[in-house]
Amino acid sequence: MGTIGKGHLLSVALLINAICAERIFCQDKAQIELLSAEQSALMEHGEKIYLQKCSMCHGAKGEGVSSRHPEPLVGDATVAELTKIIEETMPEDDPQSCLGKDAAAVAAFIHYVFYSESAIVRNRTPRIAVARLTANQLRQSLADLYGHFGDTVEVTDQHGLQGTYFDGARWKRENKKLDRIDPTIDFDFAKASPVDGVQAKAFYISWEGGVKPDVTGRYEIVVRSTCSFVLDFGKIDRELINNHVQSEGQTEFRRSVYLLAGRVYPLKLIFVQRERKTEQPPARISLGWVPPHGTEQIIPNQNLLIGDFPPVFALQAELPPDDRSYGYERGVAIDRIWDESTTAAGIEFGQIAAVELWPSSRRRDSGDDQRAKLRSFLNELVTTAFRQPLDDSLRKLYVDQQLNSEPDDGEAIKRAVLVAIKSPRFLYPALDRESSQSQRVANRLALTLYDSLPSDQWLIDLVRKNELETDLQIRAAAERMVEDYRARAKTREMLYEWMNLSQVAEITKNSASFPDFSPELVDELRQSLDLFIEEVVWSKRSDFRQFFQADWSYTTQRLEQSYGPGWRPRENSGPKFRKTAHDRQAHCGLLTHPFLLSHLAYNDTTSPIHRGVFLIRYMLGRTLRPPAEAFTPLSPNLHPDLTTRERVELQTSPNECQTCHSKINSLGFAMENLDAVGRFRTHEKEKAINSAGRYTTRKGDEIKFSGVHELADFIANSEDVRQAFVNRAFLHFVKQPPAAFRRSTVHVLSDRFVRNRYSIRDLITDIAVTATKEN
Amino acid sequence: MPNQTSRRDFLAKAGFSAAAMNLMMNLPSLRAVGAPAAGGKMQRLVFIFSPNGVIPAHFWPEQSGDSFELKRILQPLREFKSRMLTLHGVCNRIKGDGDGHMRGIGCLLTGIELFPGDVQGGSDTPAGWSKGISVDQHIKNKLQANPQTQTRFGSLEFGVMVPERADTWTRLSYAGPNQPVAPIDNPYQMFDKLYGQSKNKELFASVLDDLVVEFKRAEKMLAVEDQHILQEHLAMVRDLEKGLKAEIEFAKMRSSAGHAIPKLPPNVDEQNDNIPQISRMQMDLMVNSFVADFARVATFQITNSVGQPKMRWLGIDEGHHELSHEPDSHESAYEKLIKINTWYCEQVAYLAKRLAETPEPGGGGSLLDNTTIVWTNELGKGNSHTRDNIPFVLVGNGLGFKMGRALEFGKVPHNRLLMSFCEALGYPEKSFGNPDFCADGSLTGLS
Repeated sequence: MGTIGKGHLLSVALLINAICAERIFCQDKAQIELLSAEQSALMEHGEKIYLQKCSMCHGAKGEGVSSRHPEPLVGDATVAELTKIIEETMPEDDPQSCLGKDAAAVAAFIHYVFYSESAIVRNRTPRIAVARLTANQLRQSLADLYGHFGDTVEVTDQHGLQGTYFDGARWKRENKKLDRIDPTIDFDFAKASPVDGVQAKAFYISWEGGVKPDVTGRYEIVVRSTCSFVLDFGKIDRELINNHVQSEGQTEFRRSVYLLAGRVYPLKLIFVQRERKTEQPPARISLGWVPPHGTEQIIPNQNLLIGDFPPVFALQAELPPDDRSYGYERGVAIDRIWDESTTAAGIEFGQIAAVELWPSSRRRDSGDDQRAKLRSFLNELVTTAFRQPLDDSLRKLYVDQQLNSEPDDGEAIKRAVLVAIKSPRFLYPALDRESSQSQRVANRLALTLYDSLPSDQWLIDLVRKNELETDLQIRAAAERMVEDYRARAKTREMLYEWMNLSQVAEITKNSASFPDFSPELVDELRQSLDLFIEEVVWSKRSDFRQFFQADWSYTTQRLEQSYGPGWRPRENSGPKFRKTAHDRQAHCGLLTHPFLLSHLAYNDTTSPIHRGVFLIRYMLGRTLRPPAEAFTPLSPNLHPDLTTRERVELQTSPNECQTCHSKINSLGFAMENLDAVGRFRTHEKEKAINSAGRYTTRKGDEIKFSGVHELADFIANSEDVRQAFVNRAFLHFVKQPPAAFRRSTVHVLSDRFVRNRYSIRDLITDIAVTATKEN
Repeated sequence: MPNQTSRRDFLAKAGFSAAAMNLMMNLPSLRAVGAPAAGGKMQRLVFIFSPNGVIPAHFWPEQSGDSFELKRILQPLREFKSRMLTLHGVCNRIKGDGDGHMRGIGCLLTGIELFPGDVQGGSDTPAGWSKGISVDQHIKNKLQANPQTQTRFGSLEFGVMVPERADTWTRLSYAGPNQPVAPIDNPYQMFDKLYGQSKNKELFASVLDDLVVEFKRAEKMLAVEDQHILQEHLAMVRDLEKGLKAEIEFAKMRSSAGHAIPKLPPNVDEQNDNIPQISRMQMDLMVNSFVADFARVATFQITNSVGQPKMRWLGIDEGHHELSHEPDSHESAYEKLIKINTWYCEQVAYLAKRLAETPEPGGGGSLLDNTTIVWTNELGKGNSHTRDNIPFVLVGNGLGFKMGRALEFGKVPHNRLLMSFCEALGYPEKSFGNPDFCADGSLTGLS
């Protein structure tokens, strides 16, 4: 056993310190994955010696042994210092038996695993931390506080808007010529009649239904119309755009609105061509939007719903973004900007409550005493906001006192609302520990599944009857809630984060190489992916493996033209988006979907590195360190003879790259049969594609595959993928570490996931039920 | 500038930090307090619109010049006779699309045609919105572009019972071609626009004590290791409380100097029978907004062109527009129309009185010394729909015209009067609206 130079020791210490200084959130030694092979070997060696020679006095985890050395092994000595101490003093009965490399190994091991400050932080038992509402939770809670006074939204699979066509320029029952469902609003009637029986010179069309945004954020609603129209949005009679007067030169109308995913905004669009002595413009109208991170499009069919929907409130005030340092939003920052934004929110909600909620409530309530009605209205509002019944002292403070200090009804409402919204009882959902168990369960379920508060009458009734106590009762409620649009939206959000696609605005390609890769095509690809995901999650089976093993996709005429026979629709006619035939060659779910593949590629060529990182980090849930320095990819022009695979191998060949790239590349290479726009290919630069790849699992098993089909089969059934998915879903829904509920939460949920045949719905239900079990 | 000094003194005495002081000094509502802009006279311009034409025989003085008699309709203004001008012979010559009422209101302050469109009234061709900016908005833009005359809002558009309908008959003011400006006809909404921020701060400050108690109670409901987040939150709330209370103390001091946030009577619904009360509330808000120098231009639109207020408080059950179509020979209708127009004049007089009795902040004299009210109408006479002899009655001394006269212009296009307004504010224009009607320049003989 030789001695080790001081320089080496120092470098070990520096490295380990550097690693420990990173924010590390894993709870177990899986973290050792972060270390290089050399370092982990050192650790393993250290652990072996520690267990042999040290643990009898210091305890297996350095916790101490009461009869020998009771103090826990914690402190702030560096690895080098520790090494020195060990060399000179340990073990007490034979200080000469642990020297040199052995001492360094033990020092490195104990320092990293339990001794150092960062190890202590890392090993702290995860607990459920109290947080304020996040920005999104605040928005959702206010939306439900408003929605509480209306009807519950029913889920429907009828898409489009109800169009009613009248002859003549006004609504007149006897002039109604046609009732039909229009898939989208994008019409150019020119100077012709819109439908049979309606004259071109004067008609009245009403479109009614709802708009369901997929993503939360600021939208621009865009109406282009050459004729008179009025658009009510969010509530019938809440005018968003009034172009009752058609005036020459004015055909484009834009309004910016903040919309919440999972809410159905009732909509009514009245379009009128009026007969006149002067020349009529040709009749055209379209209803579009610019979604957050997106480009302008006609509001797609799947976002339009048929039916009567209750009014919706969406907060327009800006709220500061939340802390995402743990990979999910947490309401932990308490600062002035946030505080001011909650004041603005309280004021905005107060206004809408005074103008929209109170008048309808006033009508609904019987009795003559206006103030008594107002008192009962405010009592209901504050009770809902606080997620618990008000006792006398709360009622006095939040309702009576506010009401008595304002003679004007509107002002009294604004005042009471502001106090309630600014109260810790609204802002901190955890302040319900004195409530009944059923109340707390309902509060957790609403927070987990909707990011909101219990507002639906059926749920409030269960609380009142104390029927959320047994597992069966809780599960039944969770199952019902999972089907709600709000939970669906939260699920979609989770899936897009899981795929790392939430922020993708546009994808462009070299137009010389890929002439038909137009913005319209990208838009259709995006919708195709959306529909695919919706179908997988909300179909009866809700089978997670279909994400990788579905042998079909959603297609359009344009997609078929661009991607070939594998993208031919199953049925010859039908809506714009239809399923393709089953074709295992053409489709492996997400892994062959051109939206994802073209996003994970360069302008002209594929990017095995992007694809590999996507798989290893997002699908397999493994940790990757960022590269030591930033590299510009080698230009394909410099190596005209190399395939993409060869070029990437060349660039990442140095040893320091290979630590990570041996893992990354070998996954990405398996997708080389799909080009930069996600089209199948067998050759690149006249060489056959080599799509051989491999992966070493967390457990150390070496998996080999060739091509995307074998890769997909592996991914679909991989334990690493499953656990990564469960973990991400849990964090997204609950916003607390899974281990805070039970050390083995992820394993338990993951096992149940397998037993439930990978049902995503059941997994979400399980997560919601778990979240009600805090201690 | 005595106000400025005392404010700073007060803040300093109250022990506020320089930063807090800057914050308060920069509040938009405070910046305004003070003397008129250096180097120029304070000038304000208010347009009051009432609909459906007048009864000329009981409106226009028979004499012209400085000795004239006020007819019945103008009697409420007798107190201001020496500070008013009647301008007879100013005609709205704008032709093109739109019926008489539409062009009456839509071209009144814009002086330009309406766009072709699909809104049909009467027997004329249909039309859309005005093709140009209105003079109030034009002057507002000029004043806002100059730091000396810039104010928080620039202009305010008041309404009284304007129907919830965006069409050519309900819009007087235009920010540009095809850009009608909707008046705010709900006094509570106008109040929110003017004082919402300050009021909300006051409101918030008044509930902070209760919240502090609640934070302390809430803290006890949490485990010790979770309490820090509420403690942090509470500390911030207290900090805020301190700042807000200081601000409010200061606001109180301000209110003793006459810049109080006005108090509106509670629960006044927007209903026909509340028109008199709404009109007063709106005018009071306008006077207050002038004291605070929130704006130097305002429009005040009573109902709309073709407006149908039923003046039951005068014992008149029919709608105004309906009555205005009756022939002059219909005696009772004729008499009612005189009463209705007299009531409109009372509104003008009320505003003039409020302005006259309110001192100009930071300067000598009253608000009326620096404000001109222009009372106008979309028609000369209701049953003929003529846009000749559009009623123009000016009250107050904002524009520096020579007041106390009844003027006769023969038949001049009203564009020239719009140009006179621009000129009087210090922004002469070669034309306003349709240049075809501007060749002779602004009206002569006003100053």
